[in-house]
Amino acid sequence: MITVTNLSKKIGDVQALDNLSFSAHDGHITGLLGPNGAGKTTCLRTVFGLLAADEGHAEIDGIDVAKEPTKAKAQLGLFPDPFGLYERLSPREYISYFAELSGMSKNDAKQATQNVIAQLKLEDIADRRCKGFSQGQRMKTALAQAIVHKPTNIILDEPTRGLDVMSTRLLRDILLSLKAAGHCVLFSSHVMQEVAALCDQVIVMADGKVVATGSPEELCQQTGKDSLEDAFIQLIGTDEGIAA
Amino acid sequence: MNIGKVMLQGTFNKVRKPKLLARQSKLISAIQVGLLSMLSLSVTAEETTSSHAPLSACYVDGLSEQVQCGSLMVAENPAIPDGKQIAIHYAVLPAIKPSFKKQALLAIAGGPGQSAIENAAGFNRVLAKVRQDRDILLIDQRGTGQSSILACDDDNMSALSFNDDDMDYVADTQKCLDKIDADVSQYGSLTALKDFEAVREHLNYDKFHLYGVSYGTRMAQLYMREYPQALATVTLDGVVPMQQSVIAIGSAIDRGYALLFKDCQKNSQCQQQFPTLEQDFQQVDNALAEAAIVTQTRNPQTDEIADFTLTRGKFNGAIRMALYMPNIRALIPHAIHQASIGNYQPILGIYTLTADSTGIAMGMHASVVCGEDIHRLTDDIRQRAKGSYMATTMIEGLEATCSVWNMPQVDSSFSDAIESDIPTLLLSGELDPATPPSWGEMATEKLSNAKHFISKFATHGVAYQSCGNELMADLVTSGSLDNIDGECLEKDVSRSFYLNANTVEVIPTTTEEE
Amino acid sequence: MKTVIAMVRKELIDAMRDKRSVMAGLYYAIGTPLLMCGMFMVLIGQLSSPEDLNINITNSDNAPDLVRFLNNRGINASTDEGVSVKDVKDIELIISDDYAENMAKAKPAEVTLIADNSNEKLQKSIRRVELQLQAYSSEMGSLRLIARGINPAVVQPVKVIVEDQATPDSKGGFILGIAIFTMIYSVFISGMNLAIDTSAGERERNSLALLLSHPISTRQLVLGKIIAVTCFALLGLLLILLVSKFAYTFVPWQELGFSVNISPDFMGLMLFIGIPLAIMAATLQLFVSFMAKSFKEAQSYLTMVLFVPLALSMAASYNIAPDVLEWLPVSGQQQALMAFIKGREIPMLQLLVSSGATLVLSVALALGLEKLLKSEKVVFGL
Repeated sequence: MITVTNLSKKIGDVQALDNLSFSAHDGHITGLLGPNGAGKTTCLRTVFGLLAADEGHAEIDGIDVAKEPTKAKAQLGLFPDPFGLYERLSPREYISYFAELSGMSKNDAKQATQNVIAQLKLEDIADRRCKGFSQGQRMKTALAQAIVHKPTNIILDEPTRGLDVMSTRLLRDILLSLKAAGHCVLFSSHVMQEVAALCDQVIVMADGKVVATGSPEELCQQTGKDSLEDAFIQLIGTDEGIAA
Repeated sequence: MNIGKVMLQGTFNKVRKPKLLARQSKLISAIQVGLLSMLSLSVTAEETTSSHAPLSACYVDGLSEQVQCGSLMVAENPAIPDGKQIAIHYAVLPAIKPSFKKQALLAIAGGPGQSAIENAAGFNRVLAKVRQDRDILLIDQRGTGQSSILACDDDNMSALSFNDDDMDYVADTQKCLDKIDADVSQYGSLTALKDFEAVREHLNYDKFHLYGVSYGTRMAQLYMREYPQALATVTLDGVVPMQQSVIAIGSAIDRGYALLFKDCQKNSQCQQQFPTLEQDFQQVDNALAEAAIVTQTRNPQTDEIADFTLTRGKFNGAIRMALYMPNIRALIPHAIHQASIGNYQPILGIYTLTADSTGIAMGMHASVVCGEDIHRLTDDIRQRAKGSYMATTMIEGLEATCSVWNMPQVDSSFSDAIESDIPTLLLSGELDPATPPSWGEMATEKLSNAKHFISKFATHGVAYQSCGNELMADLVTSGSLDNIDGECLEKDVSRSFYLNANTVEVIPTTTEEE
Repeated sequence: MKTVIAMVRKELIDAMRDKRSVMAGLYYAIGTPLLMCGMFMVLIGQLSSPEDLNINITNSDNAPDLVRFLNNRGINASTDEGVSVKDVKDIELIISDDYAENMAKAKPAEVTLIADNSNEKLQKSIRRVELQLQAYSSEMGSLRLIARGINPAVVQPVKVIVEDQATPDSKGGFILGIAIFTMIYSVFISGMNLAIDTSAGERERNSLALLLSHPISTRQLVLGKIIAVTCFALLGLLLILLVSKFAYTFVPWQELGFSVNISPDFMGLMLFIGIPLAIMAATLQLFVSFMAKSFKEAQSYLTMVLFVPLALSMAASYNIAPDVLEWLPVSGQQQALMAFIKGREIPMLQLLVSSGATLVLSVALALGLEKLLKSEKVVFGL
């Protein structure tokens, strides 16, 4: 469960976040939808405590990220954009390294890594160095990293960017299974289809503000449009920065 | 024998050891066997070296650099281990680049009675190449230098005026013996050899390379006989073979004289300048045999007016000592000629130079000669000595000394030829007035891995005067004689004779004067 | 701590697989001693006088004894048999025409030595010829006095006994100063690429944000990185010590009259003293790299920053260094090491102060790093 309350953040002269509030629930997939520059990434970074909010606060499972960052972050898994792979490490080393950083013992990390490799069917590449991986392989490795320590909350920053159809489908399946397992999944995207197909709840952002919140259906209803895309354009007032 | 070396360096003064005396000079000129390896340098190795730590930094005379000194306590009489202890002092000239830490070259001085440590500068020069990667070890043999020296100094005589014909050897020797607080019978070569080996073990060297010069070759040969396993290579320079009693040195001296006269005769300038050299010598020698010549002169050092008593012993002694050194040897014809026409200054100069500078511990000298050589005085030697002033005088003097200096005789096996397969380089100087090449040849009798080279131009102490030191360095480095051919000894390094008091070069005819 | 260990392990594995980091360290550690040895071998060969020194002697017939004297000391005339023209040094000795005439009258007989004394390759040879000429002259002078019944000792009124306090090790002090300098510098060079890679490089690869999003404190992160870079720096140091120990034995130092010996004791001391230095090098490099926006930029910054320890170490390797250097980081340690290798007493106080200062500097830089990593600007390059 991720709760964001009255978050404001200025980066340079730009008001990146402007009194932002929403929450993402366990067992749900929540999509953070907005055009480029809407403040999605800034928002997610603030949730991770990488950026300090000027005002407001973010809570993970009720723990304030700014106050107890380590404890809060232990309940988080991040699928970043870009992936931030270490090219000279193999996925197994990479995943288990971050598992250890998330607080697991070396042995537990090893075991968890083995499990997540099996779960994501990474066996064939698990011991190759990441250098030269395809985008799909990279995505899977990064995702494995995000979920290896079984965090309650998983945040994905533009997860489908650059992925081919197969990879996208795979990702979708995984997210659904995570949702089924009761995780709170929060992802940002500017791709309509993704959001429409996956999300239980969509948070539409523009200019650092929440424009609308609700399930895709609710958003369509709210705007009186047939498609989420139309609804979205309606909501943010322009189609700039949105991919169909 | 390197009075010469000292001169080459132009550092005469180093050879002065002012407390050396007339008494001693008398002994040298007459009875001392004089296998000394080089002129002594005064003793300045610090007293700090008497500490019993294995090695500590010290300075030795003639070397400005820090070297390492130490000493080892040994029983004066090995048969009584708990008896009187004496300190055997040694100095290590550390290898410049110690590539062979378990090896050292042990340099053994001559005399008998010279201190190895006092001669460090000379050894350092000759052994410079060996020292590049091996330590040079100098041990003051017992009875010499700092190791319980048996000296017979007597300060009360004037070297210039005393007459050696008036000397009472027996009384003087007795006086010396009375002053010595030591069991002199323990100062022979064999006992000393035990010290060397003890020092080797003490300093933890696996192998020694030996360089023995003059009497030091006897020590080296004994080492080959007694402790062959401790030796890697041996170089004998100016060889005294075991089979040879040093008493026979008289004939070597006579040979030295003869070679000098021949050399001068063969050399056109010398021949031209001193056409009657041998007769000149005989003339002076005969006159002195009649009576000593007393002249008033200036003290060569202090310039005080002094009486100079030139005896036959002093005259011959001075020439004999000059024969050791190629550069001073070059002055002998001029000195003899001048003496024949009544100018004794050149002879005085040579005499004063050689009289007080051998650094021989006469007590130790006596211990060696009286224990190891005097009993080997055969009728044959005696016979041959007849008619030779030098040989006769020496035998007489030594017999007198040894009648007082009671030494147990060494075993007859002492005189056996050394049998060994240790790589051994023997060096002899053709002009040597002490250890002629035939002696070197004799030493090789049972050496199965030896090469004997004769330098045409060298006197006593070949390595100091020729490329002999390089041959030795090659031997030490390669551990074998295979690639040593001695060819470099052919290089003409002879010294021209002095034609007057100034020059060795041809005197232009227009300016010729005599 | 567990986290830190995991980080260090990862960083080291990562670095070992990074050819650039490894090579930078290795090239320096292996290459420098070898290069220096090669250089010194050439230098020694050029500067030392050959065993057989061949020179041009004009009118050698005027002074055969002198020529033979020189010959016996390895100074040969170019006209001697077996002397090839290319082995003849550019030194000429002219014996005057009236040499013998003057000599016979005890007037100064002239010989002229013609050579370029500013030519380093010749200096030793020239000195050698001069020395032997002096020796010959002095010997003749002495013989002339003897021939006049005067003891030559009278013309040496003062006997100077020199007791040189140099030890065999201290004679090679200058070389050793340079050697120690290369070793200290290896601490800075060996870890440099890793430091950049793990800071600026990390950010460039976008893994820094990912790292920071994990439940670790910036202090742990900083510690992990410092330790990793320090290890690498020390590894470089160890390597250069081993290579030096091995390589320096091949240089014919003895021709210069001393030896250069990297003893195990020295290696131990160097490693020990190297620890604070390595820590400081690591923090300094990380600090600077994190300030830079990119790998390239970090490289150029570091090149400039590393000039400071370079200059300190270099200055300290000369005896003329001002005393204050003894107390400063890098130069203080360098001087202590030089004292040790020269067999002198190690200036403990100075060593403690400089090592202490090194550590204080490291801690300050580490705290700075920690602060840096909390800054959004630095993490995201905003």
